Amino acid sequence: MTALSLPRRRARISGGDAGLGLLMALPIILLMGSLVFWPLVMTFWDSVHRVDPMRFGTPFVGLRNYLSLFSDSDVQSSAFNTIVYVVVAVVIETAGGVAAALLLNSLGRARKWVLAAVILPWALPPVVNSIIWLWIYNPSYGVLNGVLRALGVISQNHVWFNDRWSALLLIAVVHIWRMLPITAVIVLAGLQSIPQELYEAARIDGAGALSRFGRITLPLIGGSLAIAMTQSTVLAFNLFDEAWILNGSSGDTRTLLIQVYMSAFQDLHFSYGMALSVLVMFASLAVSLIYVIRGKAETSAE
Amino acid sequence: MKTKPIQSWLMRGGVTLLLAWSLAPILWAVRSSLTRPVDLTASKFSFLPPTFTLQHYGNLLGTVSAFQGQVTQSVWPQFSRALINSLVTSAAATVITVIAAALGGYAFARLRFPGRDAIFGLIVATLAIPAYTVMIPLYRMMVSLHLVDTYLGVTLVYVSAFLPLALWLMRSVYRGLPIALEEAAAIDGAGKLRTLFTIILPMAGPGLMAAAILTFLTAWGQFLIPLVFSPTLATKPLTVLIPEFVSKNYIDYGLMNAAGVLAIIPPLLLVVFLNRYLISGLTAGSGK
Repeated sequence: MTALSLPRRRARISGGDAGLGLLMALPIILLMGSLVFWPLVMTFWDSVHRVDPMRFGTPFVGLRNYLSLFSDSDVQSSAFNTIVYVVVAVVIETAGGVAAALLLNSLGRARKWVLAAVILPWALPPVVNSIIWLWIYNPSYGVLNGVLRALGVISQNHVWFNDRWSALLLIAVVHIWRMLPITAVIVLAGLQSIPQELYEAARIDGAGALSRFGRITLPLIGGSLAIAMTQSTVLAFNLFDEAWILNGSSGDTRTLLIQVYMSAFQDLHFSYGMALSVLVMFASLAVSLIYVIRGKAETSAE
Repeated sequence: MKTKPIQSWLMRGGVTLLLAWSLAPILWAVRSSLTRPVDLTASKFSFLPPTFTLQHYGNLLGTVSAFQGQVTQSVWPQFSRALINSLVTSAAATVITVIAAALGGYAFARLRFPGRDAIFGLIVATLAIPAYTVMIPLYRMMVSLHLVDTYLGVTLVYVSAFLPLALWLMRSVYRGLPIALEEAAAIDGAGKLRTLFTIILPMAGPGLMAAAILTFLTAWGQFLIPLVFSPTLATKPLTVLIPEFVSKNYIDYGLMNAAGVLAIIPPLLLVVFLNRYLISGLTAGSGK
């Protein structure tokens, strides 16, 4: 609290606002330092030790935790599941999000209300989303089976989560339902920044709708699209709630984060879980590098 | 705008599809929450419930619950407790995050101090690392500080997770304001703090609103953080309580849907009434 008594005059004399600036940023620095950066350091530190509440001492074990991760079949299958979620989610969210954004952009006064409806799934608690879909997917009374039976697509009720691939896809659908609005909103903002004159000029030159989209729209929303795709990737990478609520800890649909949670809080292998979370973090950082670089570019722009 | 009939039909079809995809699952949950248990498990399919009932909401909010004709223990004590917990932790996290971001964002945008841009870069970079990476050491830390299952502990974890986005948002809001105003105030002899409170903050209102809405929605929807840090009803929020209705030995689908529908109300109100701020926050926060 010594900084609090720093006289304002001295801050002015020191040629700037260094004192006041530090004072205002200090709570944030302290909070983030103690609750994010310090635990981050601890994660690295503990991941090369054996930290296990059931066993005495925390000896240094080097990379043993990391090495045993690679031969752990649970880790392998949860990594596989995570990759499936990421690929399916990014492809569908991008295609669907761009389509939704184009549609929204062409609307007049109705846009505001349609946009509110589109945003809604994103704004709801993911747990509630998952429960809504859990009931839809219910093998005995779910509306999915009901509709497909009524349409004659299937002749008897399916237990969707008995099959790994249908389980993975149905969980991906719930995640996509929640995250597609993000892509739509980001791309819509990109579309709105395109000057209308470009389209008029192209129309005069006789360019069709498809070539206008390919030559003008797509290149000019490239930046927004890159951000949206990075977001989709990171968010799908961190999928937890949907898979957990819809199918619990089942190995068929378990994600890397569920695996981290299981290792640490169910099996109480703290350091093993931390080694895994370090790997997940680096993988997530690698895919979101574009995101960070863009943020930095923006920071140094002025 | 002149559009050909085919185009306008395509557009109408597209909008219908988009609305159905976004709203149908929610409407189905509302429909199920108003359907009698016997109709919920009927094999005949119908869009509207054959008979409307409020019994699931009664079970949730009443003093006694009934399930399959049997009077069971009321879930209202747990439900109301979890509702309060959700409201308290989300509101506290929102207030603290917005105040910290409003002050800190200004410092990072306009005041010069050593290491400013490096610190800001580091804080924003945490957006790209999964919050769960730090959860295990954070949990052990909270255990040793006796902050697990306390409002303070949960709120602090929320703030540390949601602050970077709010800070980024507020900083870009401040940078978008004309600096001439602040210079004029400085010439008039107003100090930095006075300028911030009397001139800058009122203009940053929409930005503050966006930051508050984003933070509240994320806090309201949190699942994994309270799953770890809120083991008992002392702080357990709705998002952790509601799935427990599912994993009981019987599954009361009507109750589950009714609880979900009630948990939807706060986000629904925000989206309907404060949509404008939400959109601006979403696009700014995603690196405009």
